[in-house]
Amino acid sequence: MLGSLSGLRVLDFTWVLAGPFATRLLADYGAEVIKVQSRVTMEETERNINGYFNTWNRNKLGISLNVSKPQGIGLVKKLVQVSDVLVENFSPRVMKNWGLDYDTLTEVRPDLIMVSMSGMGQTGPWKDYVAFGATIQALSGITHLTTCPGKPPLGLGYSYADQVAGLMGVLAILEALEHRRKTGEGQYIDLAELESMSGLLGTALLDYQANHRDASPIGNCSAYQPAAPHGVYRCMGEDRWCAIAVFTGEEWQAFCRVLGHPSWTMDKDFATPLDRWRNTARLDQMVGEWTKQHAAEEVMSLLQEVGVAAGVVQNAADLAGDPQLRSRGFFVELDHPVMGKTVADGSPINLGDTVAHFHRAAPLLGQDNNYIYYHLLGMSEDELEQYAAEGVIS
Amino acid sequence: MSLLAGRTALEGLRILDLTSEKGSFCGKLLADMGADVIKVEPPGGDRARTLGPFLNDVPNAEASLSFWYNNTSKRGITVNLEHGEGQKVFRELACTADVVVEAFPPGYLKKLSLDYEALKELNPRLIMTSITSFGQTGPYRDYASCDLVALALGGQMYVSGDSDTPPLKAYGEQAYLIASLFGAIGTLMALYHRHSAGRGQLVDVSIHECVAGMIEHVHVRYLYEGVVARRQGSLHWDNAFRVFPCKDGYILLTLFQEWDTLVELLDSDGMAADLKDERWCDHTARSREADHIIQVLGGWAMRHTATELMDLGQLLRLPWAVVNSIKLVSHNPHLLERGFFVEVAHPEQGASFCYPGAPYRFSRTPWRVWRRAPLIGEHNQEIFGRELGLSSAEIAGLISGGVI
Repeated sequence: MLGSLSGLRVLDFTWVLAGPFATRLLADYGAEVIKVQSRVTMEETERNINGYFNTWNRNKLGISLNVSKPQGIGLVKKLVQVSDVLVENFSPRVMKNWGLDYDTLTEVRPDLIMVSMSGMGQTGPWKDYVAFGATIQALSGITHLTTCPGKPPLGLGYSYADQVAGLMGVLAILEALEHRRKTGEGQYIDLAELESMSGLLGTALLDYQANHRDASPIGNCSAYQPAAPHGVYRCMGEDRWCAIAVFTGEEWQAFCRVLGHPSWTMDKDFATPLDRWRNTARLDQMVGEWTKQHAAEEVMSLLQEVGVAAGVVQNAADLAGDPQLRSRGFFVELDHPVMGKTVADGSPINLGDTVAHFHRAAPLLGQDNNYIYYHLLGMSEDELEQYAAEGVIS
Repeated sequence: MSLLAGRTALEGLRILDLTSEKGSFCGKLLADMGADVIKVEPPGGDRARTLGPFLNDVPNAEASLSFWYNNTSKRGITVNLEHGEGQKVFRELACTADVVVEAFPPGYLKKLSLDYEALKELNPRLIMTSITSFGQTGPYRDYASCDLVALALGGQMYVSGDSDTPPLKAYGEQAYLIASLFGAIGTLMALYHRHSAGRGQLVDVSIHECVAGMIEHVHVRYLYEGVVARRQGSLHWDNAFRVFPCKDGYILLTLFQEWDTLVELLDSDGMAADLKDERWCDHTARSREADHIIQVLGGWAMRHTATELMDLGQLLRLPWAVVNSIKLVSHNPHLLERGFFVEVAHPEQGASFCYPGAPYRFSRTPWRVWRRAPLIGEHNQEIFGRELGLSSAEIAGLISGGVI
C-alpha cells in the first residue's frame, strides 16, 4: 500500500523515546526508516526484544553498525548518500565526535535534511546538560503547574515532553521537505526539547510577559473561562471517576435535569456561571454526592445524552476496550518474530486516501543488514563478511 | 511569487483557518514557518477571543492572550458561513487555497455544503484537516468534549496526581495543543502526497486519539504485561525521577542513576545515612525499597537550594532539574542566551510583548512571528478586494448584509 511518504528514506540514529517516536510516525506513513543500532550500545530501552522498544520502533528496518570503528563511519556516509533525512537525538557532541556533523555529511549528500533533537539545543550555556523528558518538563514549568492550588508540584509522571519533541521533529522534517521540493536545498535543524515543550505553555509565558503574572497551579479547574462544575468526580467502584465540564447556562439546565432537579440546584449560590464558579467547593461536594451513586460510564452517558461534556477518567484497561477507539481502529496488531502477537496504539492522524499502514513489528538487531548492505548499498558478500568479522557490522 | 519562493519553508502555501480554540495552534505552527494562513472568523470574531487571560485582566475581544498566542502570523477576515453570500465568498476563497483547517462539530460544514466532499469538487487539490473532539466517525462522534474531558477519556488524568487524591489534569490546554500539532503534521503529509498524486485529501484528527497516543508507558505496560498504570505523585512511572522540596523550592532528582556517585555526593555532606551499606549496591533492592532512598535523598535535598542541586547533578551528568515556575522559565539564562523569546509589536496597544519563540531552528528558512494575531476582520479589504477582486461596492454590500 502506498503511504503519503512513500519514497522518502530516513536514516535513524535515535534512541529511547523522543527520536524513535518521531521516526515511527514517518514509518507509519510509508517512509523507509533505517534504524541504526550497535550491539555495543544496545541496552535498556534499546534492547530489541521488549515491549517498549517494539512499540516505538515498528515499521522500521534495522541494521547493525558500529560507528566507533573508522570503517563504520564510511558506511554511514554511504547510507547518507542514499537518504533524504537523518534524525538523531544524542547529546550535541556525539555526532561531531564521530565526524558526522552536518557540514561533513553534505559533502556526500548536498541536499540532506538533518534533525538533531537534544534536550537544550546545540548552542547556549546548558547545551551539554543531561536531560530526559522529566527533566524538560521540570524546566519548562509544566511540572510546577500540574498540581492543585497550594500543593507541591506533581507533574505528569511520564515523559510527555519527549513525545511533544518527537511531534515537533516530524513537523520540522515535513517543513524542510517542502522547502527542498521548491529549491533543492536541504538544511540542518536544531531542535531543543525545552523550547518545543515551552511552546505548549505559550499562553502562560505570554501572561507573564504581558501581565507580569507568574501562573499558579489550578488543579482540574478551567483555565481560561469560568466553568463549574469542572473537574473529576468519584463514582461507584474502586478508583472510578468521571470528568464533567459545564460551561453555559443551557448546559447547567441540562445537567440539573439529569440529576432530577434536586433542591440544591435551585440555590441562589448556583444561579449564574459566576455564582457556581465562586461556590465551586460546595458545588463539587453536591455533584460528588450524585456521582458516587452511579458508575462512571453511566454518569458519562447520562450527561452526554443531554449534550454536557463528560468522560470517564479512563485507565489502561478502559482505553483498551474504549468503543470509540476500537471503532476507529486505534489499536493495531503486529506479529513479532520472537514475542509473537503484539498490540500497540496506532496513529491519531487519519488520512482519507493514504492511511497509516502497520506492516511489521520492530526489527531485531541487524534484521535488515542483508537488504540494506547488499541490495541497497550494493556491497559484495565478501565485503559484508569482512565487515562482520571486524566488528563493523555488529 | 517565484521571486519569493524559497524565502520561507512554507512560502506560497495558503491555508484557510476556520478553527476556534481547539485547533488554532495548528495554523500558528504553519504560519510561523511562512504559510499564508487566513483566519476566517464569524462577524464579531472567533469565540476564542472571549477566553482569558486578558491583557491587564480587562476582557476584550482584541486582548485575549490565549488568542494572541495561538494566532500569530495569521491574517484575519470575517465571513458568515451560515449566510448564502458568505458561503459563496468562502467557496471562492477555497478555490485559491491549498488547505482548509476546521474544528466544527462533525456534520456542521456538510449542512452548509462546505464539507470536504463539496469543496473538492471545486478544488480537487484541496486538503481539508478536521480537528474534532472524537473524529468524524464512531459512536462518540457527536459527544461534547473539552480539554478536561479529552484528557480524562484519553488516559492522561488517571496516571497523574497523587495516589490518594483525584486524577489530575495536565496544565494548560494540552489536548488542544497536541491535536493541533498532529493536525499540522497530517496536513503536511497530505501535501507531500499531493505533489505526486495531484489531489488533496481529508485529514481526520480526533483529539481523543491524540491524547491516547501521547501517554508514553500506559498502553505498553497494559498490552504487554497486563499492568494498569496508576498515579504515584511526582514519582515517575518507572521510579527513575521524583520531585523533592529543597531549601528554596523544588528539585527533580533521579533516584538510582549513577548510584556510586550519588552515594559519594551524599556522603560528602555526611548525609548518606545507611546508603553506603553493601545491600544497596543491588539495584533490585533499591528499586524494592525506593521509599527509603526517597527519605534519605529528601533529607539531603533540604540542605541545598534548587540551583545548587541542579548544577551539582549536571556536573556529574545526572539529569536533575529545578522545578521552574513560569517566571523562572521567562528568566532562564539558557533560553535567553539562545534568544528564545521574541518581541512582537502590537501597535494598537502602543506596546511590544515578548512571545515564546521557535520550537525548532532551521539553518536556511526562518521561523518568525511575522505579525501579531489579526484584529477582527483586519484583512477584509486586502483579501476580498485586492486578492479576490471584489469591488468596493461589493464589499460594502457584504458588510451591510452582515456577510463579512
